[in-house]
Amino acid sequence: MRFAYYPGCSLSSSGIEFNISFKYVARSLGIELFEVRDWVCCGASSAHSTSHLLSIALPTLNLIHAEKDGFDKLIAPCVACLLRFKVANIELEKNPELRNLIHKLFGYEYQGKLRVYHPLEVFHEIGLDKIKSKVKKKLSGLKIACYYGCVLTRPPKVARFDDVENPQSMDSILRALGAETIDWSYKTECCGVSMTLTRSDIVLKLSNDILREAKEAGANLISVCCPLCQANLDGRQKQIEEVYKTSYGIPILYITQLMGLSFGACPEEVGLEKLITSPREVLGAIGVM
Amino acid sequence: MSIIISKNTISFARQLQSITGENVMLCYQCRKCTLGCPSAYAMKMKPHELMRAIQLGLEEKIYWSGTIWICLSCETCNTRCPQDINILRVIDGLRELSKNIEYYNPEPFIPALHKIFLSLVERYGRIYELGLALLINLRMLTPFKDIDMAYPMLMRGKLKLLPHKSPGRKELQNIMLKIKGLEKASSHSKSKGEISANQKFHNKGDI
Repeated sequence: MRFAYYPGCSLSSSGIEFNISFKYVARSLGIELFEVRDWVCCGASSAHSTSHLLSIALPTLNLIHAEKDGFDKLIAPCVACLLRFKVANIELEKNPELRNLIHKLFGYEYQGKLRVYHPLEVFHEIGLDKIKSKVKKKLSGLKIACYYGCVLTRPPKVARFDDVENPQSMDSILRALGAETIDWSYKTECCGVSMTLTRSDIVLKLSNDILREAKEAGANLISVCCPLCQANLDGRQKQIEEVYKTSYGIPILYITQLMGLSFGACPEEVGLEKLITSPREVLGAIGVM
Repeated sequence: MSIIISKNTISFARQLQSITGENVMLCYQCRKCTLGCPSAYAMKMKPHELMRAIQLGLEEKIYWSGTIWICLSCETCNTRCPQDINILRVIDGLRELSKNIEYYNPEPFIPALHKIFLSLVERYGRIYELGLALLINLRMLTPFKDIDMAYPMLMRGKLKLLPHKSPGRKELQNIMLKIKGLEKASSHSKSKGEISANQKFHNKGDI
């Protein structure tokens, strides 16, 4: 399977272990990744809060590069980027006026044939049987809370993937790897990341709610699929513990790190040393670290 | 407070509809948006109140509440609205409109962050996380905020000291420049012959 790969800004810095571990899993499953030529930022929240046209133009610039290079599928692991790409594709499809404007801006007619995927969507297209066949170490003993974040499944008209209020795509993969996944009600609550630098108080409250709920539901690990959620829940966990006078110590791992470990990767191959909250105790107890 | 309802009150909702394509007049105040909103607790004007305020044309009150900046863009309200109003698109429309208006904003740092974010993107083609954090911290006069979070990230190589420049930045700068030109031209032609939004507020007095 050939894919254009849009890592996005986060995966080159704060979410670097998502990049490392996704590439490892992609190699194991036969997913070929080709980085989008000269890719630029998708604009994220700042573009759509400033100018609708800009919020469509920035992802389209990258889509055009991938299309010109002959791809018909693109993977964006960062869920914030993913939504911007999906929105751009849909808006350009349904709004001919906007399509004309974009055409004029770029001097190129974007065909809109490029389908945009999150890694989870690709894993499910490959199928759980193939994933199961790669397992070298079972993850039995882990009690995982799958946290999907806000916009992987929302809004359903744009995301077109998984159940919007109670998604299962991450749960089913982790169960196939032998782990136990818990049922909890904060799977798709927002962690507040768009305000992480400005109204950190809101972010701490929302992230604390998520960590508390996961712990109360009995999880000893949280699995995520977005670099922004990870940066918040892991990077701010110490601050949250101080502000709310509590202690969690819950490691926040990317689904691809867990898949990689189960496929037989050593900790460095999936970037475990990059995590702020150490997973040593939890993973050591089941013998994968 | 008295609210005078006239033909004019609806004009604000219609103006927003022309920008966003969303018809706020469809809202019948079921409050699903507010009940699901993760940041409603921090809003002076809750999402359903915002919808009603738009219906009544209370433009000034909307901007003064700061609600449009407290919204996290998490898409929960859009997903649950029984009238299928894209509330986030409406809020984005208000954010766009507010660029051309002088108003008291209780949350000035959030639009400031967007400005810094986009200027870094324009310069380097990609976001420079450490630079973004430093610049907004200086703007908020809290230079050492989150240093306890940044330190372990720096030690693990998760924050880059220097920006990464994308080879595609020239093309991006060109597009961003064209868009700025287009938007300047359209806001200029709209305000021509009408009273400016700023003056309009003064004429309305205290609603």
